[in-house]
Amino acid sequence: MNTPQPGQHLVSSDPVKPQELTVVPQRGHLVALKTKDELRAALETIDVYVIEVPATYAGAILNIVKNAIPDLKTVNLQHLRRVVQLEFLPEHLQKKFSSSTQAWGRLSTTGDAIGEQNEGGKRPIELRYLLIAPTSLISSAELRECLMQNHPFLNSEISPHVHTIPVPALAPTSAEQAAKWTQEYWSISYKNTNPYGPHPSLLARAAADIESHAGTWLALARTAGEETKAQDLGEEIGCVIIEKTGNEKKILAVAGDARWCSMDGTPVPHKQGPGNVMAHAVMRAIGMVGRKRLRVADTNPGPESDSGGLNVASVNVYCDTPLTPIESDFFTDNIAPGGYLCVDLDIYVTHEPCVMCSMAILHSRFKRCVFGSRMPLTGGLTAEMPKSQEDGQENSVDAVSGLGYGIFWRPSELNWKFLAWEWESESEEGGALSVDLSIQA
Amino acid sequence: MNDQEKKYHERFMREAIKMAELALASDETPVGCVFVKDGEIIGRGMNDTNRSLNGTRHAEFIALAQILAEHPITVLKKTDLYVTVEPCVMCASALRQYGIRAVYFGCWNERFGGTGGVLTVHEDPGVDKPYPVVGGIFREEAIMMLRKFYVQENEKGEHNHLSLAPEPRQKKTRELKTDILPLDLDTLKT
Repeated sequence: MNTPQPGQHLVSSDPVKPQELTVVPQRGHLVALKTKDELRAALETIDVYVIEVPATYAGAILNIVKNAIPDLKTVNLQHLRRVVQLEFLPEHLQKKFSSSTQAWGRLSTTGDAIGEQNEGGKRPIELRYLLIAPTSLISSAELRECLMQNHPFLNSEISPHVHTIPVPALAPTSAEQAAKWTQEYWSISYKNTNPYGPHPSLLARAAADIESHAGTWLALARTAGEETKAQDLGEEIGCVIIEKTGNEKKILAVAGDARWCSMDGTPVPHKQGPGNVMAHAVMRAIGMVGRKRLRVADTNPGPESDSGGLNVASVNVYCDTPLTPIESDFFTDNIAPGGYLCVDLDIYVTHEPCVMCSMAILHSRFKRCVFGSRMPLTGGLTAEMPKSQEDGQENSVDAVSGLGYGIFWRPSELNWKFLAWEWESESEEGGALSVDLSIQA
Repeated sequence: MNDQEKKYHERFMREAIKMAELALASDETPVGCVFVKDGEIIGRGMNDTNRSLNGTRHAEFIALAQILAEHPITVLKKTDLYVTVEPCVMCASALRQYGIRAVYFGCWNERFGGTGGVLTVHEDPGVDKPYPVVGGIFREEAIMMLRKFYVQENEKGEHNHLSLAPEPRQKKTRELKTDILPLDLDTLKT
């Protein structure tokens, strides 16, 4: 009984079996978005002092430094190894340091500790490179003076050689990044956590949970956009809301963009300006979920006119009832009563949602979001910044980067966060829909 | 802002506060707004998220829907918004896309504010024309209403409502604080 009829998009049963949808799943894979803090962490460096000392002095010197620079404990250096052997440093540092290595051998005649270390000069002195402190905390002259008052520099001919090098200011967010930084900057320790975004294992589990069907939902979203576009009601942008519990999947809402839909449901005569911003696909789909929840709720919430003298005509402005066949197919009462907003739901959009829609997704407390194409001029989810804002045009944005909002994951500011991916298409024809880059999706 | 201008803006902010009071009486987060064109109110709105089970039904959207049911979208280019609480990031972006002329608000929104409280969507680089904002008009009144709401919700023992904060932080009964500290609920960040 579930055989799709010509012109019918679905299936009457839940959970939906994707093969019963008439859409062809898009081929591709999920790529997790970088959070704003992750991108900041990847770029920010600080200058630190590094000195060379015999291994036996390493601990003592770090203690001296700790006492001499009280502010050191306010700086988080946990991702940076403090004591490193030459061979574990990046190549350019190895070259730099070995060319300026000091004549420690001569110390053996003056210092006791070196005598133990060197055992009569038979064994070469083992050297270590110490990351002392950020340069912002102490001047190099002060540091040198402090070191001179302690072994092995005290009463020695050898004066400390203080190098200044840049290192990543913040902890790495993945093992790959830690490895890369170790080659580029300094030996980095990685603790399999991500203080600047979702935990790697949480992200991996979530991606594995949704990846197999993401291409199907994106194809369905695309169909929704194509249908409203074909009716001249909106841009070719579409959105699907899914409830996934275990292996069960329910399609709760399908909506195409309807910004060019007038109050009576016909296309507006002149497509000028932004159109009806409230009828973006994401806003419509969220509205449909709200309407479904009201329908299945036990109590009558009261008429819409309760809200500030609202008249009935304004309901059409939201465009959150079906306009096309595919939207109608899923506007059924397939939602459990008692749910709240879009908690635990996933949303799939053909294009990166604009700032308004990104924040609407956050307000609605979605769990996960996947979008098809980036919208670098208007998108609210990606965190990449415009490459240059110093070109004199204050309101220009760089077409190849983004607006830098990263709205999906700013927990210290926005009080809700969700996981977000972009879809990397693996098929020629599965590419972007034909919308202008300056459009707000 | 001279006295005459101040009086003009306060007149409309009082109307916005009336809408927020209506929201409070309907167990909605007390945020109210009016849209004004040529000295006339062309739309009124109050928060409607709890009744509609739709987290996007903010006061601004309710009023916009009302306006657009009767006017062309271009009317907004000659229209100013008066809202008791700073527009959130979503509304700030919607207003910019629609081409609003200016926004006047009461208190800042430290959770979700889009015009200075958290982000500055009204003036950041973007494809749409930026708009000016003026905050702090009857700020104390706006804050008092939010406080009344949290106390009212707490007395009912309901925690499932959409407020500016996702959930009350503590369940013990709160008392209504009447002192307005400059840095308590909102902070001037612009």
